[in-house]
Amino acid sequence: MRLRRRSVPCKQLSSSRQGSAVLRLRRTKPAPDEIAGGSKQLGGQRRWTLDALDAYRGLIAFIAVFILGVIFTPRSLETGLPVFLSLRTQLDILYEYSEYGLLATGMTLVILSGGIDLSVGSVVGLCAMLFALLTIGLGWSMAGAVPVVIVAGLAAGAVSGTLISRFRMQPFVATLAMMVAARGFAKLVSGGAKVQPAAERWYAFKQGTPHFFRWMTQSLPGVVLQPCTILFLVSIVVMAVVVRYTTYGRRLYAIGGNEEAARLSGIKVGWNKVATYALCAGFAALAGIVNACRQDMGDPEAGFGFELDAIAAVVIGGTSLMGGRGGMMLTLIGVLIMAYINKILSLNAVPIAPRMIIQGAIIAIAVLIQQQRRR
Amino acid sequence: MKRFVIPAAILVAAVAFSGCGKKQTASTGTTGAAKAKWVIGMSQCNLAEPYRVQQNKDIAEEAAKHPEIRVVFKDAQNNSETQQNQVKEFAQLGVNLLIVSPKEGRPLTKPVADAYKAGIPVVVLERQLVGDQFTCLISPDNVQIGREAGKFLVRTLGGKGSIVELKGLMTSSPAQDRHSGFMEGIKGSKLTIVFDADCAWLEDHARREMNSALARFPQIDAVYGHNDPSAHGAYMAAQQEGRGREKTIKFIGIDALPTEGVRYVRGGILSATFQYQTCGKEAVQAALKILGGERVPKLIRLGTRIYTKENVAKGGEKL
Repeated sequence: MRLRRRSVPCKQLSSSRQGSAVLRLRRTKPAPDEIAGGSKQLGGQRRWTLDALDAYRGLIAFIAVFILGVIFTPRSLETGLPVFLSLRTQLDILYEYSEYGLLATGMTLVILSGGIDLSVGSVVGLCAMLFALLTIGLGWSMAGAVPVVIVAGLAAGAVSGTLISRFRMQPFVATLAMMVAARGFAKLVSGGAKVQPAAERWYAFKQGTPHFFRWMTQSLPGVVLQPCTILFLVSIVVMAVVVRYTTYGRRLYAIGGNEEAARLSGIKVGWNKVATYALCAGFAALAGIVNACRQDMGDPEAGFGFELDAIAAVVIGGTSLMGGRGGMMLTLIGVLIMAYINKILSLNAVPIAPRMIIQGAIIAIAVLIQQQRRR
Repeated sequence: MKRFVIPAAILVAAVAFSGCGKKQTASTGTTGAAKAKWVIGMSQCNLAEPYRVQQNKDIAEEAAKHPEIRVVFKDAQNNSETQQNQVKEFAQLGVNLLIVSPKEGRPLTKPVADAYKAGIPVVVLERQLVGDQFTCLISPDNVQIGREAGKFLVRTLGGKGSIVELKGLMTSSPAQDRHSGFMEGIKGSKLTIVFDADCAWLEDHARREMNSALARFPQIDAVYGHNDPSAHGAYMAAQQEGRGREKTIKFIGIDALPTEGVRYVRGGILSATFQYQTCGKEAVQAALKILGGERVPKLIRLGTRIYTKENVAKGGEKL
């Protein structure tokens, strides 16, 4: 991917009359995670302070959640120490949310482009199945299985992307279709049963699962983090750089901000969309591998409803569902907020009913804050 | 205006949070409001199925008779990974005993084994884990139940007839066992399964599938539902058809919860239902024994009871 400095679509846009709509939109409403650059151009003390507040708003919310966790921590029945503050709990939070995190990373790309992807949960199920079948069932090595699974994910995303860009289907509808179909494929691949050692007579693994499964879910000596967690953190940081500093990233914002203007200014909207949906499903494939490793088997029902958590994390972070505004680091904060809230509620054994009400309220509040910002 | 939004939002969140948090500590006493000698952590795989709601209720009722124990419930919402997290959380909290009703055996094997090795006794309900790193498994026998259901139909239909089988989620072991047991039960008779479908334990799926079966087959003698709601759904479909076939077809189900199957039998909707014990009461009893230092068997198999119109008033009959 070329760096932004070399092709600079935004500057090209400013010189073309048709593209000026995009530019105007972006000038007056800079994406929050690029405020440092954007607001300097604008100047104006007042504007700058508000923008600065924008950038830290997510962080403030996260700190508030953390403080709630400290206040409402249960204490260990043995040692009397607060459970929430232990290092193990903190690491568990990241580990437990790594799958949602991977999904939210891909989802951010799609949402920035002004779309939505409802199929990621099903793609997780499909890829978890496929991965388990290839490794546990057929005894493939990881070097063979991992790329095949990722390609399967990319392909599923490319199909949705093609339906959307080439056949002009609404993203909601196209990915809804993929959501149903991918779940069907997952069940087809499964042959009607969960893939675990000795489930079928011909499976390569009769007793335990391959070593890789255990390796992914256990903390690495010296690093403390589990490879699952590392995979998520590396993915989101890499994509943050891609979104901010590459041509592809700039085009995403342009397409999400004003698709027609982007098209008129020479951006290949169709190809970029296909690539975006493919990437999103590719991350879902990674999440599928993580899922299979964590469950120690392939479950065709895996990932059911995960797309909603992923979308919620992106929205809570502050990326706009209208497209064109937001960023990857905001999503990281969104994921952390969701993960911490879930963990705090779970540690306190809060029953599901109030828990869901609280989660709903938090999503609503997050969106309210966003709307406030836009005025 | 803008300036007030964040603090206001945070305040609202904080209030919502503290409200729930406080209610929680009051009801479960996580901070030790009611001094119980032992704390038991219970991880339930989901509370969407009536069977599991009943299981939790049975545990709570039995535990209420013993003031020395306190049970903290968590609901994993049908997600194995959430359930793994819950087992870890309980272990970290340092509960005296764990009761786990697993969604699936394999994913829970490792977290349960970790807790068990750390010295926390674990009572597993209903589903077998891989290996033997737990204290005790309490489980009804689905194969036996399926077999009894099969034998019952052979008896009532006089050895021949057409059957519709409305299966539970066939990727789950209870549904597989209920199916294979049933096939054993009808072996050697002239009973044939003319139509079968995976209804995922859901009544409305069963109703839809039954509609198709009714449309395709003029002669149906019995419907075998893998759970009572499926059998009930099938009955409703037959009734809706308007040809009075709900009176000639024999409907049988499994689970026999007091709120569902037993009530349907009493109302004449089902010909029979077979009890699938919730294990709740037995779990608490086993837990008390373990905490008291007694040994319990590694596997406690629970029998089944049949409820028919004749014996439902007397509380069924042990098989």
